[in-house]
Amino acid sequence: MADIEPTPGLPEHYFRHEFGRLVSVLSRRFGVHRVELCEDAVQTALLRAVQSWPQRGLPDDRSAWLYRVALNEVLGGLRRGKRTDTSADDIDELAAETGTEEGVFMENEVKDDQLRMLFVSANPEIPRESQIVFALKILCGFSVEEIALRLLQGREAVYKRLQRARSALRDCIAEPELADVGQLASRLPAVLEILYLLFTEGYSSAQPDRLIRHELCEEAIRLGKLLEEHPVGAAPEVAALLALMYLDTARFESRVDGTGGLLLLEQQDRSLWDRELIQIGISYLHGAARGERFTRYHAEAAIAAEHCLAPTYKETRWAEIARLYQMLDSVSPSPINTLNRAIAIAEWQGPAAGLALLEALKAPSWLLGYYLWDATLGELYRRSGDSERATVHLTRALDAAPTDAEKALLRRQLEACSACPDRTANVQRLHG
Amino acid sequence: MSTTKSNKFLCLFRFAAAGWPAKPSSPQEMQAQYAAWKAWMTKFEKELIPGDGLTPAGAVVKGGNVTDGPYIESKEVVASYSLIETTSLERAVEIIKACPVGMDPNASIEIRQLGGYGG
Repeated sequence: MADIEPTPGLPEHYFRHEFGRLVSVLSRRFGVHRVELCEDAVQTALLRAVQSWPQRGLPDDRSAWLYRVALNEVLGGLRRGKRTDTSADDIDELAAETGTEEGVFMENEVKDDQLRMLFVSANPEIPRESQIVFALKILCGFSVEEIALRLLQGREAVYKRLQRARSALRDCIAEPELADVGQLASRLPAVLEILYLLFTEGYSSAQPDRLIRHELCEEAIRLGKLLEEHPVGAAPEVAALLALMYLDTARFESRVDGTGGLLLLEQQDRSLWDRELIQIGISYLHGAARGERFTRYHAEAAIAAEHCLAPTYKETRWAEIARLYQMLDSVSPSPINTLNRAIAIAEWQGPAAGLALLEALKAPSWLLGYYLWDATLGELYRRSGDSERATVHLTRALDAAPTDAEKALLRRQLEACSACPDRTANVQRLHG
Repeated sequence: MSTTKSNKFLCLFRFAAAGWPAKPSSPQEMQAQYAAWKAWMTKFEKELIPGDGLTPAGAVVKGGNVTDGPYIESKEVVASYSLIETTSLERAVEIIKACPVGMDPNASIEIRQLGGYGG
């Protein structure tokens, strides 16, 4: 990954982030229905920079340099397309207007434009899976290939989703301005879901490259902070989502061993957890506690906080975690919550109590085919001494596990299972 | 002859006409390209004399006839040039081989020693 090397004189991800900033600024000025024209213009401006900057040195105001080049590209494109673009305004007027505003790179204004673009991505006319692809392209500056790699989707699928978003926006000459907080508030849940999905794609995806996954988490946090700093994002669930993202990121590196193998929470070296990030996460969680609203982000952040603050695995407040999973289930019902609650209850009251909860659950068929369902049952049966059932479930989990790292982890558990003396079998032998 | 030879070398960067202007790459790739060129120029700072890139616009005069575009008929197009001031052709080759497109099969870089006839 060439971009991991620091670039002399430029911040990390400068080109990628500058792409997002400039496309956002230009799309506000010229309309989101012209977003593709703005993307092409910014792409050209960056290409010019690559050709010119190494020789001439970095300009004093890099952003203004790029903006001027991109702006001229947009205006040139508009002039060329004037005959076919019926919505074309008076281009000379536009040129005069945009050319004289030297204060365009007021940091706040640029931030607002990016935030507005985040809300544009959440336009209800755009299908959900296209919203994420669009945000990654426009706001994070990733190419179609890079998005495909990050979301583990085919290049063609990503391209189609991107086109669907663009064509939905083609008819949207009037997207809400950031000042219309009331109008934007209705899109806030969709915006949060985009950020949440970006984050979880990075945090738990099957993509084996950790740096690539970490980058997605960083992007979700960057956009989340942009949202949180603006009045439109002054909602407790925004702080809750940021808390969740920080508390999870703090543990990102400790989830794997020295050779890239996956570690269970129990096996993780807690001294590797980033205390600074945990502190930030906890303070966001305090901020999220104002008001009456309790969202899934609140519940998930509170669970993450319990893990982060527990001095050891054994000293974790499992009763509290079990209670939080129940609360999560009341705001965002899913049998996965019960699965997680069973794990907490097993730690708290023993494997039999956890198993009782799972055996009582009317599991839908999709859950029965889910590898974590079998992995959990297998582990709880192993701990309760039923190695026969444990082996059945762990084997099934192993077959369905999506990544090599997870397969390796399950293989280790299976080995532990056959190594441990089978109490059930012993009992039978004694009595037989 | 040898007395008038300059120690300057003109380097003409040619690319396959089909692939130039350079195909759009992602911002992330562009940052990597920038870093690579910058690192190359810094490394050979004392010997490199900055040249320039060439835009696609231009004209060709041939036998009094003017055609526009430098690459209408050619398979390769000169996209940029730079000058190297150094001790030998071997050294100039070494420097060019180390540049970011030095190993790119779509690029060819012609190195010509300046005659120094202009004094």
